[in-house]
Formats: sequence, C-alpha cells, structure tokens
Amino acid sequence: MSAHADTLTHDSHEAHGHGALSENNFLGLPNIKLAMWAFLGSECMFFGSLIGTYFFYHGNSLSGPLPKDVFSIGITSISTFLLLMSSVTMALGVDAMRQQKPMKARTFILLTAALGACFVGFQVVEFHEFYTEKHLVFAGPNASLFGSTFYTMTGFHGTHVTVGVIWLLIMSVLITKKKLVPGKEAVNVEVMGLYWHFVDIVWIVIFTFVYLLEFLK
Amino acid sequence: MSHGHDSHELPHSHQKQYIILGVVLSIVTFIELGIPLIKGVPELWTAAKEVWAPLLVVLSIFKFGAVVGDFMHLRTDLTLYKILFVSPLFLAMFSFFAIGSLSIVHFHPFGKGYAITAQDLADGYVPPATGATAEPPLADDKFEAAFADAQKTSFAKGKETFTASCASCHRADGGGMPGLGVNLSDDCYKHGGKIAALYTTIAKGVSGTAMPAWQNSMDSEKMRQVAYYVRSLKGTNVAGGKECEGPKE
Ligand code: HEC
Repeated sequence: MSAHADTLTHDSHEAHGHGALSENNFLGLPNIKLAMWAFLGSECMFFGSLIGTYFFYHGNSLSGPLPKDVFSIGITSISTFLLLMSSVTMALGVDAMRQQKPMKARTFILLTAALGACFVGFQVVEFHEFYTEKHLVFAGPNASLFGSTFYTMTGFHGTHVTVGVIWLLIMSVLITKKKLVPGKEAVNVEVMGLYWHFVDIVWIVIFTFVYLLEFLK
Repeated sequence: MSHGHDSHELPHSHQKQYIILGVVLSIVTFIELGIPLIKGVPELWTAAKEVWAPLLVVLSIFKFGAVVGDFMHLRTDLTLYKILFVSPLFLAMFSFFAIGSLSIVHFHPFGKGYAITAQDLADGYVPPATGATAEPPLADDKFEAAFADAQKTSFAKGKETFTASCASCHRADGGGMPGLGVNLSDDCYKHGGKIAALYTTIAKGVSGTAMPAWQNSMDSEKMRQVAYYVRSLKGTNVAGGKECEGPKE
C-alpha cells in the first residue's frame, strides 16, 4: 500500500503514472482531491454570496444596534490568531503524514482541532454577548438587516469550522487505530488540510472586510 | 514506474517553510490590527487618509494568496486544480460586483440609504429635501456624537410620528380601520411597498382619498423616519387588521 507514497505529494507530475490505483481516476489523480478542489470552488461562491449579502444590506438597517456598537476588536483578533495558527499546524500535520510519521501527524492534527475548537468557543461567546447584551437579533420582528446577514454569514463559517474539527478528530482516531496509514491513504489527510485552509481563508476575508474595515469608518 | 517507500524516496519536507510562513502571516495580521489604531493619531491618519483601507485590502489579499498558494500548494499544484478553484472565485467576485451595482438602485432609495455614515455627512451629504430647507452639514467635531444619536433616535421618532399623525386612521399597530386607513401590516400595497414608494405616498398623499399629503406639514427627515417605520410594519400581520388591498409584494 505504502508503495505509492508519492501520489499525494504536491509535486504531482510524479503521480501521473499511477492510473492503475483504484482510488485514482483516469487522469491519474486522486478522485478525492479533485472532488475537494471542485467543492472548494463551489464554496467560494457560497461564501461569496453570504459576504456579498452582508455588504449589500450594510448600512440599511432600520434599527440598531449597528456593527460599530457590537464589534469588539479584542476577541476577534484572538480568534483570528487561533485560526491562523491552526493553518500552520494543519500544514505541519499534512507534511508529517507525507514524511510517514503518523504519530507526529496525529499530534498536529489534534493541535489543529484544539485551536479550531477554541475558535468556535469564542464565536459562541461572541454570539451570546451580541444576542443577550447588545440585542442583536437574528430573526423576527426585532431583527435588523445587520443582525440577520451577520449571523448567517459568520454562523455558516462557524459551522464549517465545527465540521472541520469533527473531521480532524475522526482522522486522529483512525490514525491511532492504524486504520489510516501513511502512503497512499495520506491523501485523505491532505484533502482534509485543503478544507481546513479554505475555512481559514474565508475568515481572513471576513476579518478584514467585515470587522477591520468597520473600524476604519 | 514503481516507487519504493525507502526514506530517501520520501518527498521533501516543507516544515521550515510552513513555520516561516506562519510567522510572516502573524506579522501581517499584527499590521492589519494596527491600522485601525492609527485613527488615534490624527496627524498620521489624515496624512494618508486614502491609503489605510486599500492597504488593509492588499494585506488580506496577500494572506489569502499565501494560504492558498503555499499551505494548499495551489501555486505548484496542477493547473486543473487551479482552474477548479480560481474560476468560481472570479465568478463569485463578478456576481458580487454585479449585484452590488444593482443594490445602489434598490436599497438606497434616497441616494445614500437610511444609515447615512459619518463620512457622508462630513462630506456634506444632505438628504434630498422636498420643500423643506435642508440644514447645513455639521462641523466635524460635533458630527460623531450627532450621528450616533441620530441612529438611536430616528427609528423611535418614526414610531412617535406614526402614533401622533397616522394612528388615527391606520390604527396604532398599523392594522388599518374600516372606512379610514388601509392595513400597513400586511404584504399588500396599492401604491407600492418599497421604501421609496412609501415615502412618495406619504409625501404626496393619495388624492381623492382620506390619505393626506404630509409634505405640507412634515419635513423630509420626518417623512423618511416614518416611511422606514411603516416599512418595518410590513408582514407583521397584526390581529384584526383590515383585509388585503392592492397587489401583494
Ligand atoms: C385621515 C386618515 C389618514 C391618515 C391620518 C393617514 N392616512 Fe395613510 N392612508 C389613508 C387612506 C384612506 C389610505 C388608502 C388610500 C387609497 O385607497 O389609495 C392610506 C394609504 C396609505 C399608504 C399607502 C398604502 C398602500 O396600500 O399603498 C401609506 C404608506 C400610508 N397611508 C401611510 C400613512 C402615514 C405614514 C401616515 C401618517 C404620517 C398616514 N398614512 C396617515 C388614510 C390616512
């Protein structure tokens, strides 16, 4: 099995000769990786429309509170750093798997999951504070355009992070049980990494455009 | 073309690059966080007023590119993956701007929308006046406080105006009264339910009916406030409201 370790390297030209591998398609590429890139392409449009909707309604709320009233730069900066660091640990995890060091990979994967879980935790705290103390409502008669679009956008992002955390945990269990071994199967870790990094870049966009630009106004 | 898995065949490790990139991205994020703080130093802030926001955008594009290009290896990976990812990304950006240009027409009935920003007023923006004379823009130093105050109070003022001037015919909750005002809490509008249409109806009234032209007795700001309040009643469908009149919106 592990004889085909190279199929998951990013120097993919080496992988082309392996069309015979059952998991690879007629192009000689791992199906799962191809599918993930196609999925992430569609996710671009998904988050593009959520962020777009937020901006088209920006400044059109009939009633408060407004972004400036609720955003606190401190808590958001911390979660931004957590997610950024989780991208580093994720990359290191993928790298360790490629180096055929599953236990090292597992450590980084667990670290990534922990950072991601902290991010989600901060978001829960943030939403709770916005909702109960700042009276930013998601839906119903007291909702504002800002509230609805903000919660939809960041809520979907948080959901993605949560799904990622669950995925990371499942993978670390599989590695522990030796159900996932380096070599050909390491592409599964690589693909999970792609998803995780994508979730990070969505946050890079939200953090800059939704939060930081608000503070410049 | 069969490869073994001897250690010398292992792909080259990128560990060091990842860590360096992580440090670089952290530094960039620190710079980003510092930019809003520049506002506290007015000399520096005004020295390059036009630079700060674009700088933030450039820095975030850099971070985006670094994560996609290096953490996700798209820079060195197959063209097929690049196409799969980058083309929807451009499509998303295209529709973003396309809808954005539409939204100026639909969501900004008064040119600038309801929540006029501090910048707009500082730039001398004046809500379009219908008859009433518009006030000159406030001085910069008074402006922030006045703006925050306006945000808080204008919706409440709209409600106040409604209770004082409109409830007698439309009922306090907008449900309407038989023989008098129509139901404003349903989805039906004889004269249009978009904010601009509501404003026009309120300003010009409906001749031949009991609905007065309020531009004779209210200034544009007051009519704007009450128009937004009426808009907020849409779909609340209060109990005991009059039956639907006019096309559904
Ligand atoms: C003297 C009674 C009366 C008062 C006071 C009154 N309205 Fe009306 N209003 C009417 C009537 C009657 C109509 C229905 C006109 C028609 O049949 O086209 C109407 C229609 C409207 C409509 C159009 C609804 C639609 O279906 O398109 C709006 C909006 C409205 N009124 C808002 C207001 C507001 C805001 C005020 C207070 C500033 C107000 N009205 C005060 C009697 C009144």
